[in-house]
Amino acid sequence: MSHNERDTVPLNQSSQSDIDEIENLINYSGPTTVLPAQPSPPPTIPISSSPFIPSNLPPPSQKPVQPAVPPAIPINNNNNNRNVNNNNNNNQQLTGFGPAPNTLTEPVWDTVKRDLSRIVSNLKLVVFPNPFREDPGKALRDWDLWGPFFFIVFLGLVLSWSASVKKSEVFAVAFALLATGAVILTLNVLLLGGHIIFFQSLSLLGYCLFPLDVGALICMLKDNVILKIVVVCVTLAWSSWAAYPFISMAVNPRRKALALYPVLLMYVSVGFLIIAID
Amino acid sequence: MDLNPPSGENYANPRICFFHVLFKAGALAFYILSALFFDSFVIIFVVTVLLSALDFWVVKNVSGRILVGLRWWNEIDDNGESVWKFECLDQESLARMNKKDSWLFWWTLYLTAVVWIFFGIFSLIRFQADYLLVVGVCLTLSIANIVGFTKCRKDAKKQIQQFASQTIANRFSSTIQSAFTVV
Repeated sequence: MSHNERDTVPLNQSSQSDIDEIENLINYSGPTTVLPAQPSPPPTIPISSSPFIPSNLPPPSQKPVQPAVPPAIPINNNNNNRNVNNNNNNNQQLTGFGPAPNTLTEPVWDTVKRDLSRIVSNLKLVVFPNPFREDPGKALRDWDLWGPFFFIVFLGLVLSWSASVKKSEVFAVAFALLATGAVILTLNVLLLGGHIIFFQSLSLLGYCLFPLDVGALICMLKDNVILKIVVVCVTLAWSSWAAYPFISMAVNPRRKALALYPVLLMYVSVGFLIIAID
Repeated sequence: MDLNPPSGENYANPRICFFHVLFKAGALAFYILSALFFDSFVIIFVVTVLLSALDFWVVKNVSGRILVGLRWWNEIDDNGESVWKFECLDQESLARMNKKDSWLFWWTLYLTAVVWIFFGIFSLIRFQADYLLVVGVCLTLSIANIVGFTKCRKDAKKQIQQFASQTIANRFSSTIQSAFTVV
């Protein structure tokens, strides 16, 4: 995206929309009607300027200081279109809002379904082969931390069940190791000058634990050492393959190894933990 | 903020209020009472953190929306930048929100964080790193919600003032315009 585009095109658009806004406001004769809570097509507002979006007001004018970015947030719009028919009397206070949808007023069950489907789709994007792998920024756009949370807890539980002694300590160690490991790895990438968002990276590292979860479960059910080694090697390779493109794309090519090595180290140590538990 | 609930009206959403309080109280109660019943730390950890995470989800997605009409989330735009979004309902319905509901919402939010801090200090004094881990996780979740909703509220007030002054300015200019057209 060239710098020139940003300088010329959006500036004209935003100034035009400002004029329209002001005209609209001037032309209102009576008290402003209560507009339904709009899913404001948000011009992305960086965190330093006001990030606030009241639901029914026209979107605040673009501040020309920040380079204007074309508003393209497909996620909200998709959800809101789906919810057009669902904005019914689930909530007495807000029925005055007419047919226009907003995730602010959707039924609870819709929220649950939306979150669950997001976890599943993130998992598929990260762990299974798919065409988005080469563009990591696009792949985990909808990061969420629920998937990683469940996977880390599950891994801790499985390790704890497999252990015959010191169950609590095994669990606590596994959980703390994975949680702090993910945070430290993310900081490592950021400090190496990489371009990755903190939560996106945490989410990624958590989702890449899924193969190890499967491996740990198999190892718990079958207690054969050879089988354990084979299973752990396979799942370790799978986890590393899943994490590789995201981490390597995020940093300078000369520093790829520096960023990747700790990730692999962490997964290898988890693998050893799985094998060594008896 | 006053210590007593505003009188004169009932809760508008009793079920939502109940769930809002249920998971918070459940996490705290389980944490306190579990030492009496369970020997294993794993169960205490998992159940407490699970209840806390459920509470986080309920507050962020359900009771925040319905009791106080606020919502916050994070998005990643096309540039790969992370953007935090804060949203509220418009002023009319904000004014229509039940006062008792919002009183309960804010009070329980702050109170649970304070109680978790208290427990954290307790386990720090006793040098129990395991329990400190549990308290740390629960505290992080509570504080995340507090920060998110407080930011929503502050920006809501600021936006309301801006909107009010903007409409006043526009009405003023329109009356001046109409005055000139008459002349």
